Amino acid sequence: MMKNNIEIENVSFRYKGSAESLLDNFSLTVKKGEVLLLCGESGSGKTTVIRLINGLIPHYYQGELEGNVRVAERDIKETELYELAGTVGTVFQNPRSQFFSVDTDGEIVFGPENIGLATDEIIRRKQETVKELDIEKLLGKSLFELSGGEKQKIACASVSALLPDIILLDEPSANLDRTATEYLRETIIKWKKQGKTIIVSEHRLWYLRDIADRVIRMENGRIKNEWTGKDFSGLSSESIQKLRLRPLTVEDTFSSENDSSSFLDMPEENAVILENFFFTYKRRPHLFFRKKLTQADEDILTLNIPKLRLPKNSVIAVVGSNGTGKSTFLRCVCGLERDCPGVITMDGKEYKGKNRTELCYMVMQDVNHQLFTDSVMAEVMLSMKDKNEKACEIILESLGLLPYKDKHPMALSGGQKQRVAIASAVAAGAKLLLFDEPTSGLDLSHMEMVGQLLTNLARSGSTVLVSTHDPELIGQCCDYILCIDKGKVGYYKIKE
Amino acid sequence: MANVKGNTSPKKNLGVKDFITVGIFTAIMFVVEFACAMLGYIHPVMVAGLSVLIPLVGCIPMMLFYTKIEKFGMITIMSVLIAIIMFVTGMGYLGAPLIILSGVIADLIAKSGGYKSFKKTVLSNGIFSLWICANYFPVIITADSYRKDLIDGDYSAEYCDNLFGAINYKTIAVLLILCFVFGCIGALIGKAAIKKHFEKAGIV
Amino acid sequence: MNIRLDPRTKLYMILIVSAVVMMSATTPLLWAVRIIITLVPIVLLIAEKRYASAFRFFALYTIALILTFFFLSDESTGIIKSLLTGYCGIIAQFLPAMITAWYVIRTTKIDEFISAMQKMHIPDGITISLAVVMRFFPTIKEEYLAIRDAMKMRGISLGGGNVIKMIEYRMIPLLFSCVNIGDELSAAAITKGLGGKIKRTSVAVLKTGAADIVLITGFTVAAAVFVIFKYFV
Repeated sequence: MMKNNIEIENVSFRYKGSAESLLDNFSLTVKKGEVLLLCGESGSGKTTVIRLINGLIPHYYQGELEGNVRVAERDIKETELYELAGTVGTVFQNPRSQFFSVDTDGEIVFGPENIGLATDEIIRRKQETVKELDIEKLLGKSLFELSGGEKQKIACASVSALLPDIILLDEPSANLDRTATEYLRETIIKWKKQGKTIIVSEHRLWYLRDIADRVIRMENGRIKNEWTGKDFSGLSSESIQKLRLRPLTVEDTFSSENDSSSFLDMPEENAVILENFFFTYKRRPHLFFRKKLTQADEDILTLNIPKLRLPKNSVIAVVGSNGTGKSTFLRCVCGLERDCPGVITMDGKEYKGKNRTELCYMVMQDVNHQLFTDSVMAEVMLSMKDKNEKACEIILESLGLLPYKDKHPMALSGGQKQRVAIASAVAAGAKLLLFDEPTSGLDLSHMEMVGQLLTNLARSGSTVLVSTHDPELIGQCCDYILCIDKGKVGYYKIKE
Repeated sequence: MANVKGNTSPKKNLGVKDFITVGIFTAIMFVVEFACAMLGYIHPVMVAGLSVLIPLVGCIPMMLFYTKIEKFGMITIMSVLIAIIMFVTGMGYLGAPLIILSGVIADLIAKSGGYKSFKKTVLSNGIFSLWICANYFPVIITADSYRKDLIDGDYSAEYCDNLFGAINYKTIAVLLILCFVFGCIGALIGKAAIKKHFEKAGIV
Repeated sequence: MNIRLDPRTKLYMILIVSAVVMMSATTPLLWAVRIIITLVPIVLLIAEKRYASAFRFFALYTIALILTFFFLSDESTGIIKSLLTGYCGIIAQFLPAMITAWYVIRTTKIDEFISAMQKMHIPDGITISLAVVMRFFPTIKEEYLAIRDAMKMRGISLGGGNVIKMIEYRMIPLLFSCVNIGDELSAAAITKGLGGKIKRTSVAVLKTGAADIVLITGFTVAAAVFVIFKYFV
């Protein structure tokens, strides 16, 4: 007979200063050793449930809490957060902000040090965790040098080293590529085998398909549907789509090899032509002038694309694993890497060096970095050469931002911020729009909105390059797929 | 079972969140100090300009920091951290008493206004800005003995002034006043920037 | 050769060097003491295989000394010479402290440093905050670089020639990011038990070895010689 490890009884919660409650008379029990998947749209209350169990509500995030939460036979309201550290572990969404140390070793032992374990015990646990999660290669490194996927591995290890009975994961795959997500799957399977109670809140479902014992779909702070893991896996893709969930299976879009590059013979006037896109992070020693990079430097090149044609007015997906040159490619195209000798030709006009920034604009993965002013209107006007309020309003209208024109960009939702960035790109007259992982961590509805937006941009005369790990997005809106592999074009094809 | 209101009230003692807040803003202030001190490479005399530059450039983060203070100790800890970092980065320890003293006094002033009164915040920031003068202590102390040694060794006074220019024991009073005045001005500017951005965005 | 020093020894080194750079050297003996004290961190940098920075510091210090002693004197007037006087004076005076600080910062792991602070009975609040400061320097750099890229794309790196805008455009997104990261960082750290009543332990082992004793003695003697010969002889 398994006993209940987590009991949530009739809980309602509302954040301080917020009008609507995020949870509404919510009850849930989780048995020891159970793996529970929480899904549902953004804002449905998944994260709030996670925060109830790890005690961040009510001890860190303040608000009005009614009802009872018991975790491992403790009343959460009466338990100090540090007392829970050895019982409940949490892996958070953002790999950049959840580590406290600067190096990997320090982060793995951080938790055990906090709860005051003896040094020998900490070292023993560290070695065990490292072996179990297979991360020897990451030891002794600075966390700032690691990729998002590697950081998330360390986050799992640092939770694991505390040996908690309950492990919570709050959208852990949001910033991960496919390989890293598969590793995450392996980790969860290992934890499951150890008999830990696991709760995952997630939009991406494919990697959890046959791990979850139970699946709960939330809507407006309540449980809307509940399945056993088996029943859930058996759902047809139509019913999943109807539930506004992301697919349970994804085809391996990235590995297909049939190269149909016939469209590369398209007439020049229909294409944006990229030439001499070479770049390296390993600079050669130089005396006064750095030698211009050419194809002859092949052995040191991080990016090596001598010639490429991008069909105008289309959406081109840029795929490939992390660290293979995708973001370097985007950075070079939009002129952020001044050492890249690349030339872009469009409509007979050449853009090189700094001029590339006139033609291109990149919507960054963390769009917060590119919003500078105190209102949406001012943000767009900042990009306009001749400040024209009328033209600005037209652009805002087309992106559905007009009602927000006087708001502070930082007060908007993630999707709206993305659109503000797009609006300023359009205002600056950028013809080639680049998107770096625009859908990471989005639910189905928001992803479809981004897809629609990209299609609209392409139809209205822009050429869109979008780097992505989401096969769903490619399926929805991309016309071409460009795979970058080790800095070169792996394949380049029309999407079937 | 009765529904218990789980309303959490701010606790009396400083918590982890407060320590982390202090750490973040200290890091930002130190980056500001470092960026401004870079101007010193143009000529050491420029270093005297720090007492105007740092309060002005650092005003937005400082005012944002003030909005996050609810309990006594945060400004004090910041001053201790600044003193430690200055010591470790080789800028001497003679300024430490000044830094920590201005931190404690600034903390007390802000506390007397319940960390809410804007007038007190302005005054507090002005006092706290005095820590910048700690940058000058090694130069002043050195210059003093240096000058004496050099003049004893038949060097001209002009040569000595070239060496340590605008910063010496005579001008330190002026520099302290500058720090205070620009600390207060900075508080006003910073407050305006907070209103323009962070309050409008609903962050504070 | 690998010398692992106790962070407390390193702090002591900084203490002595910072004190010595504040007293001017007047006699050849005093200069000799100063130069020896300066050479120690340079040698330590070499032992840590940081040849480039060791060489740079050595060259800079040597040039400053040579210029001060042989080329700049009472007759140094004119803009270039007066600039040079300023530079060389400051470098010859304060570079020793900078070199020592550089050595300490580059070779001390943060957890070692924190552990040393705990051993010296510094309150937890201060050690936690200080650890956050160290962790945040690279974060600020990362965020700042991203913001700078975004500014380049918009062509507003110079704020349209407006200095206030230049600062505002950098500071505002930076602060928004840092506050966000800070909130998430606090939440994550708390769930991992930071801030409990239990005394934190640390796996960083602090060992005071022969090298520590040699250095502590050496620096104490050097400081004593400097003070005695400057003020009492």
